[in-house]
Amino acid sequence: MTWLLLTPALLLMALIFGWPMLRYAWLSFHANSVLTGLVPVANGGANWMRLLADDRFWQDVLQTSRFALVSVTAELFLALLIALLLDQRWRGRGAVRALTLLPWALPTTMMALGWRWIFNTPYGPLEAVAGFVGLGPLNLMASPQWTWLATVVADVWKTTPFITLILLAGLQTIPADLYAAFRLEGGRSIQALRDITLPLLLPYILLSLLFRLAQAFGVFDLIQVLTGGGPAGSTESLALYAYFNAMRFLDFGYSATVMLGGFLLLSLSILLGALALRLSGALRPLQP
Amino acid sequence: MNRRQLWISLLLLWSLAPMLWQLISSFTTTAALVDGGVPFLQRWTLIHYRQLLSSDPPFWRFLLNSTVLASASTVLTIALAIPAAYGLVRLPQRWLRVSRALIAGAALFPYVLLFLALLELARSLNLGNSLLALAIPYSALSLPLALLLLTAAFEGLPKDLDDAAKLEGMSLVQRLRWVLIPLIAPATASTAILVFLFAWNEYPIALTWLSRSEQLTLPVAMARIAGSSVYSVPYGAYAAATVLGALPLLLLVLLFQRQIVSGLTNGAVKG
Repeated sequence: MTWLLLTPALLLMALIFGWPMLRYAWLSFHANSVLTGLVPVANGGANWMRLLADDRFWQDVLQTSRFALVSVTAELFLALLIALLLDQRWRGRGAVRALTLLPWALPTTMMALGWRWIFNTPYGPLEAVAGFVGLGPLNLMASPQWTWLATVVADVWKTTPFITLILLAGLQTIPADLYAAFRLEGGRSIQALRDITLPLLLPYILLSLLFRLAQAFGVFDLIQVLTGGGPAGSTESLALYAYFNAMRFLDFGYSATVMLGGFLLLSLSILLGALALRLSGALRPLQP
Repeated sequence: MNRRQLWISLLLLWSLAPMLWQLISSFTTTAALVDGGVPFLQRWTLIHYRQLLSSDPPFWRFLLNSTVLASASTVLTIALAIPAAYGLVRLPQRWLRVSRALIAGAALFPYVLLFLALLELARSLNLGNSLLALAIPYSALSLPLALLLLTAAFEGLPKDLDDAAKLEGMSLVQRLRWVLIPLIAPATASTAILVFLFAWNEYPIALTWLSRSEQLTLPVAMARIAGSSVYSVPYGAYAAATVLGALPLLLLVLLFQRQIVSGLTNGAVKG
């Protein structure tokens, strides 16, 4: 009976999560492109050899990692500050929390183009400010060196509220008595942050890190609309490259290989990160 | 203004300024958008909104599409997730732990990687270009979060309750309908609103499944307005579209703030 309740949901998840991975594994050992008339033809490990030697793939791996690491770090730092602010008691806190949640709730594509307008040269407000303080023209969206920062800003704007909520939930589990006792002992509030808040918040920090890193590694919507991967491929992410391979170059075998390769790298780095955390003993206080 | 008020103002400025800029742009004439020298009183217009509503298909069509699809996905997800979550909770402890780890893994998975295989699936099952068919992948993608939230809710109920109802001779369907589902209503509401937001905002799969313009969802329609060239984007019309598209979400967030917050935090913390 229990199984009967579970079966529909499990079958659907197996179809949507499981089947694609099997299909990619199979496709990655086949040529399936315009050249083969879109009919899969086994080609041994040719796709994988091509991936290993594909400079664009490795450049995208670096760019995607840079994007993920920098934006998630910035989000975490900002979210911590905002959560500390929202954890205090003041009037209108609920309304402010709702308003700060808005960027997270809007579709990414919608505000991605909004940001393009803000970063626009010469008409956007950013250029106006830069010109006013004598920095302009920035030409942010046309500079292969700096455009990735625009994608980071837009991502930080959108996803900081998510981490803020997680950290806020964590802060609210810390008993106020702890702080009172600490103050009685003559501790200063900055020390309380270091000695009480951060250690007790660590599980929540790690959790949001894990979740956001995995999501940021798959970044697609934001980049596709904000920069299209440009200028000169300098903001292209792995997911966007896989998308181009499938939808623009119609090379499905290689697209599958790119996605599987990216996924393997992501899983490997998460495993290594978890292992390093465990070895370093940072998680010891969390274990029962 | 004390220090805290300063920080709060900065926070609000950072969160809202990009959207306010869209709001202002949407009422600004195309000429004034690219020329700061236009006198203040001659900068304002409703033309962008008028164009949006009279275009073919009219803009409200995309809003309607997204609303219909997001509602269908939410209903399907909840209908699948409630029995499954109940079933999961009744599994032996060890099985429950294993399946919960697997579900958390699926919740972490960057789902954009699935688009190619899902596109093949849509083609072979003849589901491409059908708006409602998108509810199938959307439900599957929402199920991990829904299951985490709802199993936590079922576990939070006193264990004797289900047994007592069983002793009263109630069947499983009756127990779910009259006892259990009403009790987990808050968690269900949180789940539903999060699934709705996900389905409303989803982009890569809708982008590859839909091509007929009257079928497009809002995110895809937005990206299509963005077009191919960086320079020819009709920003005024686009800003107006952003404002109209944001209004329903503004309403949702303000109305369901509590459910969204508890759903997100419980989903992350208990999962």
